[in-house]
Amino acid sequence: MSRLSKIKSFVTDDHRYVFLGTSFVAAIGIWFSMQKRPAMSFLRGAYAFEVVLYWFLMAWLAVSAVALVWKLTHWRGDAYQRTAPFTKPLAKTIERWASYGVVLATLILFVDRAVMGFLSIVSVSLAQDKNPSDFMSSIVYMLDKSYGIIGQGILTTVCLSVFGTLIAFVLAILLVFLRIQEIDRSDNDAVRFFKTLGCEFAKVYSTVVRGTPMMVQGMLIYFAGFGLLKNTGMTVGEIGRIWSTFVAGLVTISLNSTAYMMEVLRGGIEAVDPGQNEAARSLGLSQWQAMIKVVFPQGIKNAIPALSNELVVNIKDSSVLSVIGVFDLMFATKTVVGIYFKQVELYVVACLCYLCLTMVASWLLGKFAKHLSVEPAPLTSVSDMNATVGTVAGTGSSEYSLDAKKNAR
Amino acid sequence: MADTTASPLIRVENLRKSFGSHLVLKDIDFAVNSGEVVTIIGASGSGKSTLLRCMNLLETPDSGHIWFHGEDLAADRVNINRLREKIGMVFQSFNLFNNKNVLDNCTLAPVTLKKMSKAEAEEVARKNLKAVGLSDFINAPATSLSGGQKQRVAIARALCMKPDLMLFDEPTSALDPEIVGEVLNVMRDLASEGMTMVVVTHEMAFAKNVSDKVVFMDQGVIAEQGDPQKMFTNPELPRTREFLARYLED
Repeated sequence: MSRLSKIKSFVTDDHRYVFLGTSFVAAIGIWFSMQKRPAMSFLRGAYAFEVVLYWFLMAWLAVSAVALVWKLTHWRGDAYQRTAPFTKPLAKTIERWASYGVVLATLILFVDRAVMGFLSIVSVSLAQDKNPSDFMSSIVYMLDKSYGIIGQGILTTVCLSVFGTLIAFVLAILLVFLRIQEIDRSDNDAVRFFKTLGCEFAKVYSTVVRGTPMMVQGMLIYFAGFGLLKNTGMTVGEIGRIWSTFVAGLVTISLNSTAYMMEVLRGGIEAVDPGQNEAARSLGLSQWQAMIKVVFPQGIKNAIPALSNELVVNIKDSSVLSVIGVFDLMFATKTVVGIYFKQVELYVVACLCYLCLTMVASWLLGKFAKHLSVEPAPLTSVSDMNATVGTVAGTGSSEYSLDAKKNAR
Repeated sequence: MADTTASPLIRVENLRKSFGSHLVLKDIDFAVNSGEVVTIIGASGSGKSTLLRCMNLLETPDSGHIWFHGEDLAADRVNINRLREKIGMVFQSFNLFNNKNVLDNCTLAPVTLKKMSKAEAEEVARKNLKAVGLSDFINAPATSLSGGQKQRVAIARALCMKPDLMLFDEPTSALDPEIVGEVLNVMRDLASEGMTMVVVTHEMAFAKNVSDKVVFMDQGVIAEQGDPQKMFTNPELPRTREFLARYLED
């Protein structure tokens, strides 16, 4: 709502930018009109119309230039407001409508040159039976021929990162439980032993996994799994059916991400005010109960922004798993490169695909995080809060409701 | 420990606590009888809060004993959780559970520890919230309340466990001066109902008028303790006089 209304008020109400902004738009329109007409241009037969558009934009630039000079020579105070012909009410209305016209003219020229130009390239290259040498045409040609491979690669990348992150999240929650255990006074020796063991295991796991590259981990896990199954006497074909490169890749990405997510969760949990735990303990809750009911829910909420970042990281980092032969986007791109030998074109495509995936992912996660941090409980009587308690609570209440809003955001 | 009715509810013996090399509590001996209201006063850093936090083991003492219901809280590997159920604590910074609303703050511990049904616990919570004047806020998120309201919820939350002893760790120090009164009133009501209370405070009027005994701490020891009227009008030690004079000036 706010962004839309801002744009609307910018276009309809704000006159400061009419000349400055739209003269820039007009310049772009003029640049488009100077480009060569593509094959599918719809202005091809309407030469006179295009000339009108061109001179309209030029005229607008000239008017803007006059306005600018006027402004520069009447800088002080409201001299420009008083003297310039551009600030009369009627002139303002005309300028506004003319500025819409400028945008429209530029849009027409943009569609004619850029959009129709792109469509002409597409239609021409789709009809080719040989890879064209032109950059754009070549990309279109190769995508048309091998979208199945690229599509499968994208699907694999999405599956790997989404399922890998989800599995890692569950594992990270289990692991962080081990990591944050502290010896409590009432624990007996066995509990103390297992707490220490669990904590040390989590520490070592985190250090090892975060300290080695995922590419090496992938290799190790894939070939170790392969070797183990081989020892059981299975044939290579049978192994391939259960220990496929995808499964190995999923295991790698899950185990790798677990370590990072555990550290993120730990950070979130440690950021919870220690008073929360003390209050729970002072009521008689055990360390475990205080953890589960009070500290953990708040800690995970703290960690959600950083946790969701892990999905974005996994989308990108899954590309290193192509070394063990997981058919992800990177592997698919390499495959297509092998067919056409057009490296730059295809890696640009891969880049754009990864960019789209990460942007969509972070947009969705942003929505999700926003959804989670909304205060779930309805505030029953904020309005009569001051009325019932009296004026004494008045000052404090406003201060703390501010805090609540901050949290809600 | 032959006659339990005559013995104090909680008794601290030779309690010693240090943070690093700094000795904060030096062999404290002190007892609170059932139904008594004891206030602990003293300058900042004199060890009053540490003493209070030791009394429910939020700080682990180095040595000494804390006798409560015939058990030594300070003994190694005692089931502190069971004993803490009987000791309510109110903090300076309220420490309401931020992820819960007012009612859930109050019912969490009874439902978890006393095996009460949700409805039963809610009934108790409503009663206690009514007593502190917050009936209208039972569904409000804890984070939306004012400081005074938060502290009153914190008191109600502790009362829901039906404790034998309530510890107050500077309950009004984080509040605006004009809100202090609403919390002190609740504490005054609680005292008149016969609750055993240990209050660390800088509110000298409260210490003088409500408490049965005042304990003055100075540099990790109990310098002087006794009847509040005598303590405030005619203290024995020059150090106590000096400390109180500074407060009575204001």
